Amino acid sequence: MLTKIRQLLSIYKKSIKNFFPSLKAGTKNIIKDLPNQLNNVKMRIFTFKSGLTILCLIILILFPIFPETEYYISILMYAMIFAILAASWDFLVGFVGQISFGHAMFFGISGYSGALLIQNLGISWFASIFLGAIVAIFLGLFIATPCLRLKGPYLALGTQAFALILFNLMLSQKELNITQSFTDLDYILQYFILMGFMIISLSIMLIIVKSKLGTIFKSIRDDQICADASGINTTKYKLIAFIISSFFAGIAGGLYMVKISSVSYGNFLPLYSFYAIIMAAIGGLGTITGAAVGSFIFFIIQEIFSELFSASGGQMEAFANYGPVLVFALFLILVIRFADQGIMKPAVERLKELFDLLMGR
Amino acid sequence: MNVIDQVASDLFSVFLFGSVQGAVFSLLALGFSLVYGVGGVMNLAHGGFYLATMYTFYWCIKVWEQTILMSIIITLIVIVIICILTFVLLIKPLQHTEIGILMATFALAFFFEQLVKVLPWSDNQTHWVPNIIKGNPIELFGINFPVRYLWTIIGAIIVVVIIYIFISKAKLGKSIRAVAQDREAAQLMGINANLIIMVTIIISGLLVAFTTFLYGAGEEVYPSMGWGFLIQSFAIVVLGGMGSIPGSVLGAFIIGYSRTFCSYFIGTQFAEIFPIIIIVFMLVFRPQGLLGKKEVE
Repeated sequence: MLTKIRQLLSIYKKSIKNFFPSLKAGTKNIIKDLPNQLNNVKMRIFTFKSGLTILCLIILILFPIFPETEYYISILMYAMIFAILAASWDFLVGFVGQISFGHAMFFGISGYSGALLIQNLGISWFASIFLGAIVAIFLGLFIATPCLRLKGPYLALGTQAFALILFNLMLSQKELNITQSFTDLDYILQYFILMGFMIISLSIMLIIVKSKLGTIFKSIRDDQICADASGINTTKYKLIAFIISSFFAGIAGGLYMVKISSVSYGNFLPLYSFYAIIMAAIGGLGTITGAAVGSFIFFIIQEIFSELFSASGGQMEAFANYGPVLVFALFLILVIRFADQGIMKPAVERLKELFDLLMGR
Repeated sequence: MNVIDQVASDLFSVFLFGSVQGAVFSLLALGFSLVYGVGGVMNLAHGGFYLATMYTFYWCIKVWEQTILMSIIITLIVIVIICILTFVLLIKPLQHTEIGILMATFALAFFFEQLVKVLPWSDNQTHWVPNIIKGNPIELFGINFPVRYLWTIIGAIIVVVIIYIFISKAKLGKSIRAVAQDREAAQLMGINANLIIMVTIIISGLLVAFTTFLYGAGEEVYPSMGWGFLIQSFAIVVLGGMGSIPGSVLGAFIIGYSRTFCSYFIGTQFAEIFPIIIIVFMLVFRPQGLLGKKEVE
């Protein structure tokens, strides 16, 4: 027992030690290559994928210019928050192959602890987001330690069990609920801050995935025994993956807390884990950007639903509230059954073929 | 009544109500464990099946105003159809991908949860399923014990014994064990493995339906009830060992007694956290469970 704990401690120490130098080296390389990179940027903008990304970003940035869009902006803000959550789930499942059905707990605990810190210590909301995310990291480590011995379905149900228990505990702690507005920023400013958070989080995850660390993650996903045999300490790298994923889920949770300006058991709803899964599945597993796009599609469809049905009242109102999840559950089943690459990936490929045709390549 | 009498009476009621919980959980966990042991399918919609039978039974009696016998028959037909559809449409085509099955059954559970909120004759409230076993509470050593709980215990024991005999003696049961041991070898002996897995899932559905009739009638129904039962089943199966019938029953009674003990002497809060503590400890120190044989990697 003691030796086991010691082993685990040493693994933690090593993983933390190795994590920061690799990040440092990464940033050094990026700074060294800067002129080269700038040269490349010109070339890159005119490729298909980055062109599409930049087009989407321009639409997002220009959106607040249109008049009377306050309501739609708030929906886009939710979509951005959940884009981070879905991307963090996709990072863990699509790239490291560790299935988690309990991402709502990172999402919830970060928001909860952030709100408690704001109320009791009076720190700014910006700092509380990061402190909350650090709390989420510790929860992730706490859960990953027993669960990393597990594989596939056991890991999935184990994480889900943790999330449900946390939800049940919070359900009865009604006196811990906090409702106050954490920030007095203008909503357009909030919109741009959220967009910054989303872009930075997604880019960091994409950089990690494309770095050497990402290659190691993919090797663990594809064949763990083989990765073990080639000298990769899989436990260490799985822990790192859990740290990264829970950190970004925590960031999303903190942003959500600030956005809805209250925390309660509702932040822990198991439904949020399901949202993350749906969004990632729409975009296709193993594409960070796909998860983000999936989030936007999800919220747009939800909005269409409530526009269509909420006005008619009665039973239709129930359909407006719960219908989207019902339809998406069915949709997720269909996607898994018939299109295991997701919807976005093939669609983008078709679009790219068309683009190439038009450019005459 | 002095202190010793009080403690003795408390312990006896822990025994009685713990037995009820153990009986219910053994019915639920048995099906869950059987499906995993035979087909290698972790059915996350197991709680959803329970939800579906409970709601069907409730609607039959309250909304469609059928007799009790008619309601039981309708519920059985519905759950068998659900099981067959689940197998044919989801599990059979996705057998080769573990993630696929997990995500599909997870989505199915959410589908059930949302469906009962959306259907026109249903809503998002908590309801009580009418009690089908009437009778005054019997008094056992100074404790009022509802009659239907007695039927729960007796019925659960009978059902578990029937399942055990079926698995160990009947020809179909032997085929089930053969597929669980070695699927390819069983197929070479002329056993239709897919059919056997479907039969196992139907058995698990029937067990869930019996839980509804024996215990669920008289309890409350609400849309998110399935998850708690799924996690309990998972904790029991981890405790007892995946795919082992005696292990599931043993695990169910251990968890039933300890949950009741906790809620009597420590607090109901702790009873909710209890399964997670068991899961964590078992997974860290003995991942194959108390009576399990399969090694968990």
